[in-house]
Amino acid sequence: MSVPLSIALVFRGRALATIGACWLLVVGIAAIGAPLLAPFDPLEIDPFVRLSEPGWPHLFGTDHFGRDSLSRAIYGARMAILIGSGSVLIALVAGGLVGMLSAYFVRLGHLLMRIVDVLMAFPALLLALVLMTLLERSVLNTVIVIGIVYATTTARIVFGMTLKLKRDVFVDAAICSGAGHVSVLFRHILPNLMSPMLVQASFIFAFAQLQAAALDFLGLGLPPEVPSWGNMLSEERIYVTRAPWLLIFPGSLIILSVFSMNLVGDALRDNIDPRFKDDIAGV
Amino acid sequence: MTRPLLEVRELKTHFSIGRGGFTRRKSVLKAVDGVSFSIHEGEVLSLVGESGCGKSTVGRTLTHLETATAGTAMFGGRDILNLSPAEFRPLRRDIQMIFQDPFASLNPRLSIEQMLAEPLFIHGLVRGRAEARERIAATLELVGMDAKSMSRHPHEFSGGQRQRIGIARVMILTPRLVIADEPVSALDVSIQAQVLNLIKRLQRDSGVSMLFISHDLGAVRHISDRVAVMYRGKLVETGRKRQIFEAPRHAYTRRLLASIPRLEKRIA
Repeated sequence: MSVPLSIALVFRGRALATIGACWLLVVGIAAIGAPLLAPFDPLEIDPFVRLSEPGWPHLFGTDHFGRDSLSRAIYGARMAILIGSGSVLIALVAGGLVGMLSAYFVRLGHLLMRIVDVLMAFPALLLALVLMTLLERSVLNTVIVIGIVYATTTARIVFGMTLKLKRDVFVDAAICSGAGHVSVLFRHILPNLMSPMLVQASFIFAFAQLQAAALDFLGLGLPPEVPSWGNMLSEERIYVTRAPWLLIFPGSLIILSVFSMNLVGDALRDNIDPRFKDDIAGV
Repeated sequence: MTRPLLEVRELKTHFSIGRGGFTRRKSVLKAVDGVSFSIHEGEVLSLVGESGCGKSTVGRTLTHLETATAGTAMFGGRDILNLSPAEFRPLRRDIQMIFQDPFASLNPRLSIEQMLAEPLFIHGLVRGRAEARERIAATLELVGMDAKSMSRHPHEFSGGQRQRIGIARVMILTPRLVIADEPVSALDVSIQAQVLNLIKRLQRDSGVSMLFISHDLGAVRHISDRVAVMYRGKLVETGRKRQIFEAPRHAYTRRLLASIPRLEKRIA
């Protein structure tokens, strides 16, 4: 099936998911074109316009350093996309490999899946907090930590699916044809895991935003000068009564984006896994 | 007849089931429990019995999909049951298996060309893609499929066509022994005869030996030279087809034959 056609199929009859996808497109454009779109330098401090109200030329107002909130929000989209895709990449590659190998090689699986079980015993945010306190605050470390947190759930899901797939007759047939472990795993099992993993990716992308925002808010995520939506919330939270717009804008951006990602994820999942069709889960 | 191609002696395949949580008591399912038979060059031996009697497990053990508990299986002067997976791998070319369910046995993500090219490249039978395509086209035509269908995916084919593709995947390696595990029982009745005739024709033309595993006595009567009757993991009777069908000695064989009387007319 051609790509445009399958995209049309996913969104047909799903107004909310389509709006969500459009919003994500806007975020994506903001992320790519940030240097062109942002009216000011997001790091430039102007003490004369501290905490100014939304208006011209600072559409979203300015923060307590006099930095332009809109520019910071636009650059924040960059961080959102970067953290989302980085975490998804790490979670899928690490989690997918662990899950697949654990299910395929039973002895190895006993060991690896117990480690995954231990990691999953911690609430996601707590695990991220513990790991972040061990590491330095940086964009890369945040991505790695969030990736590891979601690699555990991915490993669980992939583990279960691989257990089922490896008993499928076509795997027996491949073995009878003389296929070795590598060929069975990567040629016969992995392609059949791709669509569920795509759905998983869309949800990890969304949860990574919340996770990153929470880490930023607690002062353990991205370095404070980096313009991210979570950092904007974290730094301006004391001005909530004097300059509420400084929290309303980044907060709404997080909510809108995460909600959109979940809607798109739901649409993808419903399209790939027909069991959920017309269920309450299919918004 | 010459020396047997495959000689199975006292084959046992046991499964441990219910590795109970706290009580370490294991119970053992003796799926195959002391089975002996031989297959000669160019011969079709049918293994019949009710479902759950272990006949499929015999086939799966001989292809190393299950591990044998005891026994020997001499094939070309070697005991294939004792080989490590790596030692057995080159022999897979000679011992091929047709699976029961053509909807489950083809990887939905691979095109027919990719699927049929795989065994060719694994066993180093072709040197390049062009040569592989040639072999694939010839084999597809051999099983009554259009060579053009090689660019398509399994979901585009019907059950009968899929089983033909499964048979092509086996025949493309020119094996010496084919284990056909209920190859037509998952198909529509109207298609069964066509595919069965195809298997019989291919077997006769290539002179390959075959272990035909089935509960369908009509199909067995149509295709086999000799018949072995299996019951609860053991062979109760082995004999030439005519003897088994016309003068069954064992009580179970008689019961089995009596259980499906209508088949006699349908196949004739």
